[in-house]
Amino acid sequence: MTTPQPVNAPSLWARFATSLEDQRVLGYVLMAPALLLIVIFIAYPFVLGVWMSLTDKIVGTPGTYIGLGNYERLFASDIFLTAAWNTVFFTTVATVFKAVLGMWLAVLLNRRFRFANITRASVLLPFIVPTVLSTLAWLWMFDATFSVFNWTLRWMWQMEISILGLVLKENWGFFRGPLWLGDPDLAMASVILVNVWRGLPFFAISFLAGLQTIPPDLYDAADIDGASGWKKFWHVTLPLIKPVAIVVIVFSIVVTFADFQLVYILTRGGPNNETHLLATLAYQLGMGSGNIGQGAAVALFMLPILAVVIIFQLWYLRREGVR
Amino acid sequence: MQKKITQRGSGVTRRDFIATTSAAGVAATAFLGGKAPAFASNHKLHYLQWSSFIPDADAEIRRQVEEFSKAAGVEVTVEMINQNDMTPRITAAIESGEGADVMLLINNQPHLFANGLVDHGALMSELAGGDIYDWANGAVTVDGVARAVPLFNIGNAIVYRKDVFDELGLSAPNTWDEYLEVGRALKNNNLPVGQTLGHTFGDAPSFAYPLLWSFGGMEVDASGKVVVNSAETHQALAFAKEFWEAACDPGGLAWDDTSNNRAFLGQTIGATLNGASIYFVARRKFPDLADKLAHVNNPEGPGGRYHVIGPRSPAIMKYSEEQDAAADFIRFMFQDDNFSQFITVNSGYVQGLTPKWENHPVWDSDPALKIFSTNAKYGRSYGHAGPWNRASGEVAEKYIVVDMFARAVQGEDPKEIAAWGQKEMENVYGA
Amino acid sequence: MNAMVGETYVRRLVIFYIPLFMFVFVMLFPFAWMLITSIKPDAELYNPRISPFIVREPTLEHWESLFGTTLFIRWAINTLWVAIASTAVSLFAGVLAGYALSRLVFRGSTLFGIMIFVTYLVPPTLLFIPLTGVVTWMGLQDTTWSLIFTYPTFLVPFCTWLLMGYFQTIPKELEECARIDGATRLQAMSRIVIPLAVPGILSAGIFAFTLSWNEFLYALVFIHSPENKTIPVGVTSELIKGDVFFWGALMAGALFGSVPVAVVYSFFVEHYVSGMTGAVKG
Repeated sequence: MTTPQPVNAPSLWARFATSLEDQRVLGYVLMAPALLLIVIFIAYPFVLGVWMSLTDKIVGTPGTYIGLGNYERLFASDIFLTAAWNTVFFTTVATVFKAVLGMWLAVLLNRRFRFANITRASVLLPFIVPTVLSTLAWLWMFDATFSVFNWTLRWMWQMEISILGLVLKENWGFFRGPLWLGDPDLAMASVILVNVWRGLPFFAISFLAGLQTIPPDLYDAADIDGASGWKKFWHVTLPLIKPVAIVVIVFSIVVTFADFQLVYILTRGGPNNETHLLATLAYQLGMGSGNIGQGAAVALFMLPILAVVIIFQLWYLRREGVR
Repeated sequence: MQKKITQRGSGVTRRDFIATTSAAGVAATAFLGGKAPAFASNHKLHYLQWSSFIPDADAEIRRQVEEFSKAAGVEVTVEMINQNDMTPRITAAIESGEGADVMLLINNQPHLFANGLVDHGALMSELAGGDIYDWANGAVTVDGVARAVPLFNIGNAIVYRKDVFDELGLSAPNTWDEYLEVGRALKNNNLPVGQTLGHTFGDAPSFAYPLLWSFGGMEVDASGKVVVNSAETHQALAFAKEFWEAACDPGGLAWDDTSNNRAFLGQTIGATLNGASIYFVARRKFPDLADKLAHVNNPEGPGGRYHVIGPRSPAIMKYSEEQDAAADFIRFMFQDDNFSQFITVNSGYVQGLTPKWENHPVWDSDPALKIFSTNAKYGRSYGHAGPWNRASGEVAEKYIVVDMFARAVQGEDPKEIAAWGQKEMENVYGA
Repeated sequence: MNAMVGETYVRRLVIFYIPLFMFVFVMLFPFAWMLITSIKPDAELYNPRISPFIVREPTLEHWESLFGTTLFIRWAINTLWVAIASTAVSLFAGVLAGYALSRLVFRGSTLFGIMIFVTYLVPPTLLFIPLTGVVTWMGLQDTTWSLIFTYPTFLVPFCTWLLMGYFQTIPKELEECARIDGATRLQAMSRIVIPLAVPGILSAGIFAFTLSWNEFLYALVFIHSPENKTIPVGVTSELIKGDVFFWGALMAGALFGSVPVAVVYSFFVEHYVSGMTGAVKG
């Protein structure tokens, strides 16, 4: 660069353009914007976050290194263990429901029927609207006093339409209806319900995309063999859609595992920490009580669990790819 | 009017600059009670507070801000947000060194955020002097340094349906046992007691802590040792279970701070511990209902009668480049006429923190409100009987005491719960 | 599974129309509820004894209070701007990176691929406190730019991943022909491959737009001025408040916060599906 340039040599720009013909150079150039964003906004904060998890940092102080002290304190706390277990449970159950129902919905949407487009667009709605806003609507529908669900149940009870029968009637001397967010088991179920409601469209549309790539002649062949609808699904559809399914499921696990907004709006971890997730606990510790070190430790704890999931995905995709 | 004001470190300090200042300052001086304003017109101040449960209180703050802004020639942004979103905003502001200049802190947040707040010692002695209640002083004093200036407390009392009580031949409960019987009758009449034991910052601890204390249970003793696993605590938890089943709306486990207000005004509950906001809204929107309301203090237990108290305290952030203007703004809020007006529009929802406000006319304006003025008498703060500190705030933030009661009413064994509480609290206090 | 010949109407009803209707009903009910809540007067909203399904005296007071007394329109403009700009930034970075990783052979490409994958996993709750420091250091605090540059942290990995798959479905030969005709690599990429990848880019873009429109945590922490807030944060922190009867205005906010994305989607839903199709093929 320091050597003087002959006047008639190709300009710097032209030489740069030529060098772009080299894959090795072009590769780095094209990667540059993404890498820059990742290094500044993920890698650096990530390293800082890891460091914080090893300090006793409280808000407004730099904190001093305490090794694994935060983790020791966490493992001595039932609240943390509860949140960790809740997170695994929440993620697993919600993902299973999303996958099964999403597949069902995709199969339905894959048919040809009138208003197919508008139907597809409308079932996508829960996925595309801002989570906090739709969750607020659920909060209102779950409201202990003004829940529309409970009003309907009470009305059915008065009308003596007993769908759920005796179980409900027993306690109806004083009846407010189910405590959607107050009963410990029901609260987790409600949170899962909202998560499934929100995530289902992503599964359905992704699966639908997968279904559309399956060549129709495979089904024709199965028809000739006299296979039933269920058999065709099991032996033709499912194996072919498996790679798509794995990708979608893993993506969903990552997002569900780190879910924050749902619980933040619906219960803030209550009642009795039954709905606390690692993300909300990290927030509560780091933001609420100013224990930034501990908050970071909780958040970081999510990584190894997710890493296992991702390693599984990479391994699976590679194996499938080889085939 | 002065033009460019000095940047920080420009040689002349702001105070010096003010000493020679202008006509605008003189005009403002009238409003500022004789104190020279410490800023000039190109200054901007950002004030962040919760949005009050009393809409008129927010309107009054906006009025004060506007007046201060005009008088002092400072452009003031006022932001009022959901109390639950306050903590993350304060934390982020301190961590990044950028954000609002003055924030309204709650309870022991001055302890939590001490490192990000300026020394308010001078302002404190100027505005509150030696008169301020001890507990309020404790809430803002961290290692002997005032980190905020306590402005007001939000009192609470049990609001109940006088008409229903009369109809059922009940009288206002004085002890927890009486409250249990009253509640039983109310629940049989389909208007139970409504209390929250969910994760919500105000009403849940306001109910749970006094219940614990009035049976003699304590988070820590006076020396700061965790002593929550005690026979008294077991008793309180066992009582809570009985009380919940016999008298309470089971929905409470999921309520937030606004739910009992709505339930009471929607006439699905007959009594609830709350600030004066239920009465306030009823007075304005459901006057018939307001006439049927009455208030009573928390019941007495074997360990006494208690209410949770905790001040709301404006604080100046360390990173603020407008600390003088910020201090003047706080002075302005403390000014007698302004604060008096603030108490008036709140109609009993807030109390001042020096004895002179105990005789404010608002307490005589409506007999239903009188009781809120006595709140401080029974007041204790989180972490009772220990001193104010960061740990008690973390225990509150983790809802450990609230959850102990939530577990109790769901039928867990009080001894196990108390042991759990002891363990979690020791985890916080560092055993 | 296309509609089968000879399927009876009853069978079709049971295995197709009824389940589909149930799905659509459950998916859309909360939106109907937002609408109903937002046009009901307080007296009806907070009376648990009357049927909540019937609006006796519909009112626009909540809509008026939303548009008249809050900065909702301002928040909507901010959200739109942030979503569009951060999507553009992410697509730019994602298209280039996706192309490089799927087409070019260079040292470290596998490592970069894994790195982008791993960035997926880093929980935002870990990042947001350190990020406030970065944002302040760059002088972006309390500006919409703070969001435009931080949202790509979760958008770029997804866009890159999706587009890598899409680029792989485009035959290499097309590019090679162009290069034989004298096009440079960059020209081949920008004139041949990218135009063919438009459906994939579109679906990645829609996805990124949605996530940005959705984001809550960073927007809550990085923005302090009311006039710079986005819809999710503005609605939750400023509409849940004082007057305990906030549900009407809140649901109006939820409804109007959802409409713009719904409109964008209704135009693009087919592209979205076909874009995903391309991606999953890869």
